[in-house]
Amino acid sequence: MMLGYIGRRTYHSAISVIGLLTLVFFLTRLTGDPSALYLPLDSSLEAREAFARLNGLDQPIHVQFLDYLQNLLSLDFGQSLRQNRSAIEVALEAFPATLKLAFVAITLSTTLAVIFGALAAARPGSLFDRAVSLISLAGASTPDFWIAIVGILVFAVGFGMLPTSGTGTALHWIMPIVVLMLRPFGLLVQVVRGTMISVLASPYIKTARAKGMKRRRIIFGHALRNSLLPVITVAGDLTTGLINGAVVVETIFGWPGIGKLMIDSIIQRDFAVVQSTILVTAIAIFIVNIAIDLLYVALDPRIRY
Amino acid sequence: MRRTSIRIIAGAVAIAGWTGSAAAQNAAEVNIVLSEQPANLEPCGTIITNVGQILSRNVVEPLTIIDPASGQPTAGLATEWTQTDPNTWQIKLREGVKFQDGAAFDAKAVKFSIERMTSGKVTCSNMAKFGDAKLTVTAVDDHTVEIKSDKPQPILPTLLSVIMVVSPNTPADKAVNDPVGTGPFKLSSFTQQTVVLEAFDGYWGEKPSITKASYVWRPESSIRAAMVETGEADLTPSIAIQDATNPETDFAYLNSETTAIRIDAGFAPLDDVRIRKALNLAIDWEGLAQLFGADAQRASQMAVKGINGHDDTLAPWAFDAEKARALIAEAKAAGVPVDTEIELIGRNGIYPNGAEAMEAMMAMWQDVGLNVKLTMLDVNDWLRYLQKPFPEGRGPNLLQMMHDNNKGDAAFTIPIFYSSAGSYSTMDDVALDKEVADAMAATGEDRTAKFKAIFNKVHDDLAVDIPMFHMIGYTRVGTRLDWKPDITTNSEIPLANIGLKN
Amino acid sequence: MVDILMPSTRTPGNLRQLTIYLRRDKLALCAAFFLLLLIVCVVFGPLLVGEAAGKLGLRQRNLAPFSLEQGFIYILGADTLGRPILARLIVGAQNTLGIAAAAVFFSMFVGGMLGLVAGYSERWYSHVILRLADVVMSFPSLLLALIVLYTLGPSMTNLVIVLAITRMPIFIRTARAEVLELRERMFVSAALAMGASSGRILFRHIAPLVLPTLVTIAAIDFATVILAESSLSFLGLGIQPPDFTWGAMVANGRGYLASAWWIAFWPGLAILLTTLSLNILASWARTVADPLQRWRLQSLRKAPR
Repeated sequence: MMLGYIGRRTYHSAISVIGLLTLVFFLTRLTGDPSALYLPLDSSLEAREAFARLNGLDQPIHVQFLDYLQNLLSLDFGQSLRQNRSAIEVALEAFPATLKLAFVAITLSTTLAVIFGALAAARPGSLFDRAVSLISLAGASTPDFWIAIVGILVFAVGFGMLPTSGTGTALHWIMPIVVLMLRPFGLLVQVVRGTMISVLASPYIKTARAKGMKRRRIIFGHALRNSLLPVITVAGDLTTGLINGAVVVETIFGWPGIGKLMIDSIIQRDFAVVQSTILVTAIAIFIVNIAIDLLYVALDPRIRY
Repeated sequence: MRRTSIRIIAGAVAIAGWTGSAAAQNAAEVNIVLSEQPANLEPCGTIITNVGQILSRNVVEPLTIIDPASGQPTAGLATEWTQTDPNTWQIKLREGVKFQDGAAFDAKAVKFSIERMTSGKVTCSNMAKFGDAKLTVTAVDDHTVEIKSDKPQPILPTLLSVIMVVSPNTPADKAVNDPVGTGPFKLSSFTQQTVVLEAFDGYWGEKPSITKASYVWRPESSIRAAMVETGEADLTPSIAIQDATNPETDFAYLNSETTAIRIDAGFAPLDDVRIRKALNLAIDWEGLAQLFGADAQRASQMAVKGINGHDDTLAPWAFDAEKARALIAEAKAAGVPVDTEIELIGRNGIYPNGAEAMEAMMAMWQDVGLNVKLTMLDVNDWLRYLQKPFPEGRGPNLLQMMHDNNKGDAAFTIPIFYSSAGSYSTMDDVALDKEVADAMAATGEDRTAKFKAIFNKVHDDLAVDIPMFHMIGYTRVGTRLDWKPDITTNSEIPLANIGLKN
Repeated sequence: MVDILMPSTRTPGNLRQLTIYLRRDKLALCAAFFLLLLIVCVVFGPLLVGEAAGKLGLRQRNLAPFSLEQGFIYILGADTLGRPILARLIVGAQNTLGIAAAAVFFSMFVGGMLGLVAGYSERWYSHVILRLADVVMSFPSLLLALIVLYTLGPSMTNLVIVLAITRMPIFIRTARAEVLELRERMFVSAALAMGASSGRILFRHIAPLVLPTLVTIAAIDFATVILAESSLSFLGLGIQPPDFTWGAMVANGRGYLASAWWIAFWPGLAILLTTLSLNILASWARTVADPLQRWRLQSLRKAPR
């Protein structure tokens, strides 16, 4: 059953990814011949034509596409025009940096959101609840690029407490992670709080309470488990959205991840790298989605595929 | 107040060993922060700023070196050169030089390097400086080569400064990321985050005082400036004017770049010289200069002072809105369609405050009654307007541009801008074409005079473009380094020239 | 992304009752006032300060805020070309909110239509619609927008199209889910029995029932779209000078963080306050719609506990 389900999902996703790659292939080629971008400004027309010929950019677009597909079959993802090496190698090299960032951000924000959301739901309307609600709403509403540069201004330039950007020590992680966490945290707190409130109002919790069970155990033992499913759904969706944040965060903090690579290679018209990063990202997102489905089964015995 | 507190905290952090840049503690190691990641480290691309700043004269060395003060070529890996006939030069090579991989530097290595550049199998940016010249290299003996060209090359020694000699073991048919040259530093590592260079023990010349250099890159100028301020880095070759606030660490230098607006004279109303002059007169140059910094010099021509052919006496247009309005009225009376919409094409990120400058200029032209509309493009789309063949279906347009000539001679400027075959040129003037061809074939004082005459003609009589400013670069240099930028800083930062204080 | 948070819109509630609820939640009241003020600015602002917003003042570049020497319009300082930031915020509001509103409207309209069709029909095009929604949904929207904008060139129309496309899957899915449920209802069978055509049933009978849910989602999506537009403008792919939005204003001031923080700070704050207000109101609306929570806004002195 399960294997069949995963097989079906893989099949559907593969079609989606191929569709996406095709779309992106033609979209990027529509922007025209990038030869001039790779040569000095005062290079001659002949030099530009020679460059296009050397890299197969002078071929009609459908020929280029067939070549691309053919190479894809033999797992050749093309050469990066900019970096003189295999495009997939460039993409895979940048991927772990983003993965680490995204993983830490989503784990931290989920954990914190569950704790704060549950505590807020325990006493709806209390000062704590209102404070958590406001903070979470603010988190979900903050433009990430803005808070990132304000953060640099205050903590790196103003107080000199944190490094401005880059990677290296643990201190380098703080600002990118916090900025990346804001939105998922904000949204998740609201989800946790909302579902907790309705779960806590359900008859079985009332029974447990009537039997004199401790508050803490009710909240974190019984109620929480039942409100985890929607949290996981939303967290899964947020993981996709996290890549959006990563593009911005990586650009501002000079984090050498796939988001920055993607935007750089789009700007530089490094087509093979754009395609490879999309492939890598799409596969990663697919794996996350499968993992979430499996988690669902594990958490809720009623669900079968 | 703020700055002191930053120093104290930065100091505390450094003592705690938390900055992560452990290299900063070792006196002979430097960290340099560039504005852009080098795409690759192909030695044939050293005229690209971020490649040249790492490789040029550090890892690989050129045959000649342009003296920043005089603009004249001086000895590099070549020690002497003589012109045997108009198309042929004989070059003597330095002896006792070894490549970092142990190979010997000789005539064969030079022949290999030049042929690798010209073969067309490797994309070679540096070759752009040679135009369409065909070169043939022959080894005369171990340390002499002869370079023949299909047309006269009066400035070949200058051109030799872009020929980076690489080890004969370098692949001849593909670009590389692990260059091996004869320079005082060899490449230690190249990742997505850093490039590290380490001193090469077998270097032929004097040993530099720096032993190791790490390069990182951050696109934000304010971040680069802050990194040097907090000690995360020791040097950044370029920061924006608004970040250059500390006279102790921030140095301005004329960086050989000239900004301008190209007028596409092929379309009405821009085909009328009165309108082109009015465009020059309508700009409040002093107000605009605020965007470029107090040190930027108002330009009257596309090459900076020190370049052979630059005319110091040529005065730039001054701001005179009344005169501009009068010229437009005069043109209108003569039947020129002065109300036609003129497209002002800018390029995102072309230079600091570039978009602001375009917005300001648009407002100033609208103020004198010209119908100018701004369009900002990204590099690739902008390039289509810059270089021939220009896009079909374009109308009257003005193009934001920046030209860099640090090669000592107006030959790298005048033909591409003003001869009808030039790749940026919108001109089609037979008389001017002939003048350009004459100047290019001339030598000595005659050459200089002819270049000057052309600069005067295109500025005063034809007003074919709108030169704006000779640009100023700002660098921030950490207090422990002894180094000053010069006109070549945009293309190279020789680590050997960096001294250590104490 | 947040579809499980949707309040049910079928809660009865007249305007008077809503006003009372609103007055009980001070925060929501403030948010409502702020948005009202913003709408006034959008409608009348450009008439009043439009000229000041475009007027060069090269000799008062980066004028510091909180000084009245140059007049009240300079209270928030001046930008890199010496134009008053307050005036530009007001004029920028029109573009910012206009683009978001247009994008949300098209997204709702087209997405709703496609969702109706996909829900009602079992034909091949229904599957294609859903598959396409999956493709858009499973890939980071910002990246897709980047690629499309690079191809088509950044302009106001393209920006609206791109934002509309990336937000469309939510509308498609919601509309489809509603239709799937509605078409089993009695009145549909009745209409069919009376010989009504599919098109007539879909647009005359089903669509009006789906619309309120879609409008609710659209209201909540508005904040997300504002943030997405700002991110794109910040990355330089949104609106191009001389037009501007708040996001573009932040991008403009980014280079002046250390010397003139106010240029990037105010427009970012404007984005934050706007999206926060929208989210606060949305959260308030959820509370109103939720019978489990509504009591907090009703005039009960003692909380039932």
